[in-house]
Amino acid sequence: MDTKHVIRAAVPIAVGAVLLAGCGGSSSGGGGNGNSNSGGKSFSIGYQGPLSGGNAALGINMVNGVQLALDQANAAKTLPYTLNLVKADDQGSADGSPPAAQKEIGDSSVIAVVGPAFSGATDAAGKIYGQAGLLIATPSATLPTLTDEGFPTFYRAVADDYAQGPPDADYLVKVAGKKKIFLVDDTTDYGKGLAAAFKAEVTKAGGSLAGTDSAPQTSTCVPGATGSTSQYPSEASKVKNSGADAVFYAGYYCDFGLFAKALRNAGYTGQLMSGDGSYDSHYISGAGAKNAEGTLLSCQCSSIADNPKGADFVTQYKAKFGQDPGAYSAEAYDVTNSIIDVLKGLGSSPTRDSVVKAYPSVDYQGLTKEITFGADHNLKVQTAFLYKVVGGKLKYLGDLTDLTK
Amino acid sequence: MCFTSNFWSLTIDGLNNGFLYALIALGYTLVYGVLQLINFAHSEVFMSGAFGGLLLTQALIGSSNPTGLTAAGYVALGTLMGALVGAIVAFMLERVAYRPLRQRHAPRLAFLITAIGASYFLFSLAGHLFGRDVYPAPDLLSHKNLFSIGSRGIQAYDLLVAGSAIGMLILLDRIVAHTRLGQGIRAVAQDAETASLLGVNIDRVISQTFIIGGLLGGAAGFLFCLVNNVGYTMGFVPGLKAFTAAVLGGIGNIRGAVLGGIALGLVENWGVTCVRNSWRDVIAFAILVLILMFRPTGLLGERLGRSA
Repeated sequence: MDTKHVIRAAVPIAVGAVLLAGCGGSSSGGGGNGNSNSGGKSFSIGYQGPLSGGNAALGINMVNGVQLALDQANAAKTLPYTLNLVKADDQGSADGSPPAAQKEIGDSSVIAVVGPAFSGATDAAGKIYGQAGLLIATPSATLPTLTDEGFPTFYRAVADDYAQGPPDADYLVKVAGKKKIFLVDDTTDYGKGLAAAFKAEVTKAGGSLAGTDSAPQTSTCVPGATGSTSQYPSEASKVKNSGADAVFYAGYYCDFGLFAKALRNAGYTGQLMSGDGSYDSHYISGAGAKNAEGTLLSCQCSSIADNPKGADFVTQYKAKFGQDPGAYSAEAYDVTNSIIDVLKGLGSSPTRDSVVKAYPSVDYQGLTKEITFGADHNLKVQTAFLYKVVGGKLKYLGDLTDLTK
Repeated sequence: MCFTSNFWSLTIDGLNNGFLYALIALGYTLVYGVLQLINFAHSEVFMSGAFGGLLLTQALIGSSNPTGLTAAGYVALGTLMGALVGAIVAFMLERVAYRPLRQRHAPRLAFLITAIGASYFLFSLAGHLFGRDVYPAPDLLSHKNLFSIGSRGIQAYDLLVAGSAIGMLILLDRIVAHTRLGQGIRAVAQDAETASLLGVNIDRVISQTFIIGGLLGGAAGFLFCLVNNVGYTMGFVPGLKAFTAAVLGGIGNIRGAVLGGIALGLVENWGVTCVRNSWRDVIAFAILVLILMFRPTGLLGERLGRSA
């Protein structure tokens, strides 16, 4: 029969199409702007992160912070030379990361890089930077295993997910008094890592797990993902029937929005909580403000607007870029300043090599935190903060360690 | 234990999914019936319907917060708009992508590649026009429990999906069985060449078939988005599932598509009552392969020509 042949041909082709769609990543060179100052010696600081694509907002928050720090240093003549910015766009993806890294490495004026911004991108480029002997200090990549990979020039100037997972569990169980918790991860590296960090602490804190589940990211939220949105209503039923009085979701904001909506539609009234992947106002619009109300979100990013030391930064940022600083803007600003602080001790001709040698012993008090590293290339003091959705907005509650004391 | 305590809620959720799969699956099965073509761009017809209905309702609602009858009116309008946009996109798709190939007697494979190409074109265009963000759908339906089956409260959305899907399915069944249009569709499905000799305008019948598939798929798009939000790549997984449902029921068979959709919706939900949700597709598709091993032509077999 003719028809069977068509189906036999159609299925492998369909599967092929699926696979192609799954690995469709594109790379585009970011706009480098080495606007060299006239006269005098100059060096460059690189930034690698998403500057285009679906997650660009986060990357732009950061690159603006870097720019501001460099401009201030140049204006104050902190160093005996000027510093320029070289931007490399990796679209936040692992695929886009190596070409972006090559751009920074290939530019001989670059002596240190702020970034990569995302965990997957860091994982993909850490080795290349290491071979080139170029310092990378990330303000935002939180996947705990990144510092286990032995990338020689990689420093994580942000707390990892162990800083939010266990305290999140403590907060839910001890402070909010939610004893039975349902834990859902989104099957990504980040989600699984955060879920594992959270899970271990639940029983220690005196709570119990009403259930655990994995719900893959959906094609509505992530192009090429294979999770079906239809999973959320049934997930909501499972949560409801488990008798859990809180749900912790380890994943990103878009899918968390769908899940929160399904939970509230099903009449679930328990506490909702998630980590920094869901710390974004799009979570509130995606879930619907009514459904998101009361959700707790932790983040290693501090709220600069609620920080007494940050007033000056906020004013200058706003004057320069015409908008308020966003998530991780101040963190990127701090990391850049920590590099500038190191450069002060390196005379008038720093090299990649001298920066890599000097940076591990940096001790810089930034706006958001103290940047000083342990032997594992992680921050010595790990902090994370807690936020709550109140009246459709993210409200700062405080430092997680203080809140769970 | 876990199966019994979750049974009713997962059954109702499964039926909701199943009805939507069925509506989309009909688009695949009807087109297959008349053209022997798997229209892979149908998932984008579904996505277009969702965008059409959503943008219209958003514009109408503005900043108001509709409830009761007004909200119900918006739901009805959104569904109609979704159906309309779906029909237009499906019609254009046939005109632009498939008809020129048909007139040049292109090989089957060319149709298939065109279908995949059209799908990429449409969702990339939507990404360009509407942005690559996810649009939140308005919360139009009340979430009060009207009555309960087992432990599961039945809400307006459950009734809306079941009611509109069953209504459209019965209507379609009647159309194919009893109208001139239906006769045309069946004639082309049985033997296009003979049908044309007997005075059936094949081009028109094919256009109409795409339009019917588009109406159903577009309406399903809006019903789907009411609880799931809208994004330019939203059609991908539901489209694949509906295609699966059409094959499961017997591709080319209208009642088969309905049965396949409902069966797939239920099986994928029942499959994960006691295991992790990430097993959902593993279980659902393993069952599909098993069924096709024993019934290679699907549950009801391929037979649009004799479907009524």
